Amino acid sequence: MRNYPSEIPVSSIGVSTPGGDADIRITRLFESMRPDLLRFALWLTRDRALAEDVVQESLLRAWRSREALKDPACSRAWLLTIVRREHARLYERKRLELVSLNDALEHEGGALLSRDDGDVHALRSAILQLPIEYREPLIMQVLGGFSVDEIARELSLSASAVLTRLFRARNKLRTLYGLTPAPDSSGTEAPS
Amino acid sequence: MNCQDARRLIGAEPCATAGELAEHLQDCHACAEFQLEMVALEANIRRALEEPPGIARRPRRVSAQPRWALAASLALAVMATLVVWALRTENTLAHEVVAHVVAEPQSWSGTDAVSDGALAEVLSKSGLILDATPYSVVYARSCWFRGHYVPHLVVRTAHSLATVLILRNESVDKRQSFHEDGLSGVIVPSTHGSIAVLAASSAQLDDLAERMQRAVRSQNVAR
Repeated sequence: MRNYPSEIPVSSIGVSTPGGDADIRITRLFESMRPDLLRFALWLTRDRALAEDVVQESLLRAWRSREALKDPACSRAWLLTIVRREHARLYERKRLELVSLNDALEHEGGALLSRDDGDVHALRSAILQLPIEYREPLIMQVLGGFSVDEIARELSLSASAVLTRLFRARNKLRTLYGLTPAPDSSGTEAPS
Repeated sequence: MNCQDARRLIGAEPCATAGELAEHLQDCHACAEFQLEMVALEANIRRALEEPPGIARRPRRVSAQPRWALAASLALAVMATLVVWALRTENTLAHEVVAHVVAEPQSWSGTDAVSDGALAEVLSKSGLILDATPYSVVYARSCWFRGHYVPHLVVRTAHSLATVLILRNESVDKRQSFHEDGLSGVIVPSTHGSIAVLAASSAQLDDLAERMQRAVRSQNVAR
């Protein structure tokens, strides 16, 4: 875990800085989004400690650029985008240590198994095993609510390439249900 | 639009109803079935992603909050609970019907008509008989639903596939319509409980429900 000795923890920004009502409101807004951001980051990173780092770093970045958030109604998409970029930045800075998928799956534990039905549990495992290029747009679309065009802009891909990746992600998951995968003649993806 | 393009689009956006795709689905049963399967899969993907791996076991960080915020949160929670409770009775049956159908996506994979004998066996488990309808039954299974076995059928209509659940032990006062997880549906009262009809599109649902109302009868009631 990284430390932030010179930074103000996001959870205390509103209390410890004399930012006024607007800053307090935005702090609370950011804090209210934290569970959503963490869930998003966990599906991206497949690692709890890393996900928490990504969220913490993202909230700090968001706080520093809070003036850029003109419309609070857009805050969720805005913060999710920052989380995604922070995750991508980690990949750029260093090749991340490979997370043991078996370990990650073990952490699911019996509690989740007993609550989810078998199909959903199997899907969770299968989603975790999707390569990042398929998992990322799927998570952005389903969890983040991003449109194909928005995902394309964010990932610097063409809309057609995003459609292909989303199609392939779901096509891989189809096999879990014993459904025949649709023929894939999408070919290679075009960059944006 | 050809089938490959349609399936790529459905695979990317299962609930998409863009004009060109909708036109294709009107004429292509195979792609319409593919969309039904993908809609069901999508609902489960959404459920799978709702909670991240292991998050439930982690204690939440507690931050200091003013007491008024706690009181406001409690008041909001109470109000939300009351609203949810008020809506619950009406929506729960529809929700459970959708959840059941979504959990059985293979029901939409059938292409061959179920034999009369197999259909009769499923229906008789619930003490029911189905008179002739214009629809071909491509899936029939007796499913455990709310403490009873209910016939779970998939029929082929002129447009696509539709699911029919004959809910002998569930009564509704009047027609209920719903839209959830990409599925449209109605639950209508019947002389034998109620009947739920679901499909990817709301077209023809009422017509199908009405025909099923007329066709379903009890084994004990002679015509």
